[in-house]
Amino acid sequence: MPRIARLLIANRGEIALRIIRACREMGIESVAVYSDVDRASPHVAAADLAVRIGPAAAAESYLSISRILEAAQETGADAVHPGYGFLSENAAFADACERAGLIFVGPPAAVIARMGSKIEARRLMDAAGVAVVPGETPGDQSDAGIRRAIERIGRPALVKASAGGGGKGMRRIDADTDADEAIRGARREAQAAFGDGTLYVERALERPRHIEVQIFADAHGHVIHLFERECSVQRRHQKIIEESPSAAVAPGLRERMTSAAVAAARAADYRNAGTIEFLVEGSGDAATFFFLEMNTRLQVEHPVTEEVTGVDLVRAQLAVASGDPLPWLDRSLQLQRHAIEARVYAEDPGRGFLPQAGLLLLYREPRAPGIRVDAGVVEGGAVSPHYDPIMAKVIASGETRSIALARLSAALREYPILGIHTNVPFLLRVLEHPDFVAGRIDTTWLDREADALARNSDGEIPAFVRAAMETAAAGAAVRETQASTPDPWRTLTAWRG
Amino acid sequence: MAEPKATPIGPGVVQVVHDGRADIVYVAGTSDDRWAFSNGRVYRETAAPESPAKTRSGSRPHVSQALSAPMPATVASVSVQPGARVRKGDTILVLEAMKMELPLRAPADAQVVAVNCRVGELVQPGTLLVELE
Repeated sequence: MPRIARLLIANRGEIALRIIRACREMGIESVAVYSDVDRASPHVAAADLAVRIGPAAAAESYLSISRILEAAQETGADAVHPGYGFLSENAAFADACERAGLIFVGPPAAVIARMGSKIEARRLMDAAGVAVVPGETPGDQSDAGIRRAIERIGRPALVKASAGGGGKGMRRIDADTDADEAIRGARREAQAAFGDGTLYVERALERPRHIEVQIFADAHGHVIHLFERECSVQRRHQKIIEESPSAAVAPGLRERMTSAAVAAARAADYRNAGTIEFLVEGSGDAATFFFLEMNTRLQVEHPVTEEVTGVDLVRAQLAVASGDPLPWLDRSLQLQRHAIEARVYAEDPGRGFLPQAGLLLLYREPRAPGIRVDAGVVEGGAVSPHYDPIMAKVIASGETRSIALARLSAALREYPILGIHTNVPFLLRVLEHPDFVAGRIDTTWLDREADALARNSDGEIPAFVRAAMETAAAGAAVRETQASTPDPWRTLTAWRG
Repeated sequence: MAEPKATPIGPGVVQVVHDGRADIVYVAGTSDDRWAFSNGRVYRETAAPESPAKTRSGSRPHVSQALSAPMPATVASVSVQPGARVRKGDTILVLEAMKMELPLRAPADAQVVAVNCRVGELVQPGTLLVELE
């Protein structure tokens, strides 16, 4: 198999920058793609080459297989990394890349199709001896068909996008929920996020924990795991905080879960990085776990695993896609540290978590021992209303959970983002909540607590903050005068571009 | 209590000595809309209350309720037409932003006076989308 020389990254934001970084370290040329509103985005500036692929609407840009393949041909790219979201779990995209002679950095199209089909994935898990949550993809996808499936499975049920994860297109149907409105909303969101409105219905477990296992497989028959990540802190099925190891996983349970995950990956004939998600009920070695789904891509929260094991997952993805064997032996991997990640979203917790868009007037990332920030934004840049509101991820690591937690809190206290509201103050309240500190959490915990935690308790502006604001107001007059002088570099870009 | 002493120490960064301690405060924005951050908290001060909702079809003095866009968003669906009667809590339209849907619901029983947006349209914060009476 040929080495990757020029990689097109079919994504944007922080994950595109993360992949471009790995390219730079490996001597691979990077090709960014962008929509009209992303022309000035950091991922475009960071890549060696950049190609416009369409207007702001994702369906005509980041979700357009034909535009992305054209961009690959135009630039002579020999491989494509899909990142997460967008086309990352679209088997037709992986297939189109393969047909165009491009290396797709991920599993073969047939594996994506198999694991993307909830029915087939569950059949495989069953065969590998892994319990599954009761659920189905109704053959009749009409409102009435989905409604009948909900009644068969019983309420509370979850209706979700068959084609992808991330909480997009997911609705919980309780005893008193208007099923039709939820079904139509889920379908529209699924269509908008994944280009596929097929819905899946499953039983909602009571207060389970979300624990997933990172697996990795190469083309030489090696299948390994890189331990678990716990992602139970979710708001409306959107993960907010992830960590490894999980406080709820005792050694016996870890052994059973990771063995099941490796067996499942082997059964699926898996290749490259993937994640097997489980829901866990109970605690200690007596806990039971159910297969939830398999994500056939790199996860948002992959840095947590990188920090606890000390490996570079993106680098390994590119090596394995080039045909190399896995760079690590199973027995060489250890849980060396504890890591916790917080996702920074452009949203206003004080106003019902409304997504925010606008200019970042001030944006300064924290720097400290044990702190890593994977971000897709810069000071002076804009957060667009067109895409996912994730701005950055802050990953803290240390020898113990309490050290990692202390580092994460301290880092968020030194992470000023001004011009739009973000969830940083909310994240701090979550991290400092006694339940989180004690590890007493499940996937419904944050939805129960979010209203209380979202309430803005700041009240009056303290005198010392007001003093700083007044000082800045006095200084601003001077700067505004200076700013009226045209900046030659800005003037130049008009014809350079 | 002594007055806080504020010293700019970098672009947008102010050190404030007060009550026997020193705090770092980050400041940005204009005199109309000033933002500050200190120790994980965000403060915002706007000169005037948020500007009244912008309407495109001129002002309607008798309109008692209006639904406006809370953020830049695309209109995903509109479930009412002018003249329709809606009940409190009915979904009037659905906005989509950042791949998430935001239903806008009737704040009270009302009659729809005007619908000022179309499906697929990108609307700005404060734009008056549906007028109710």
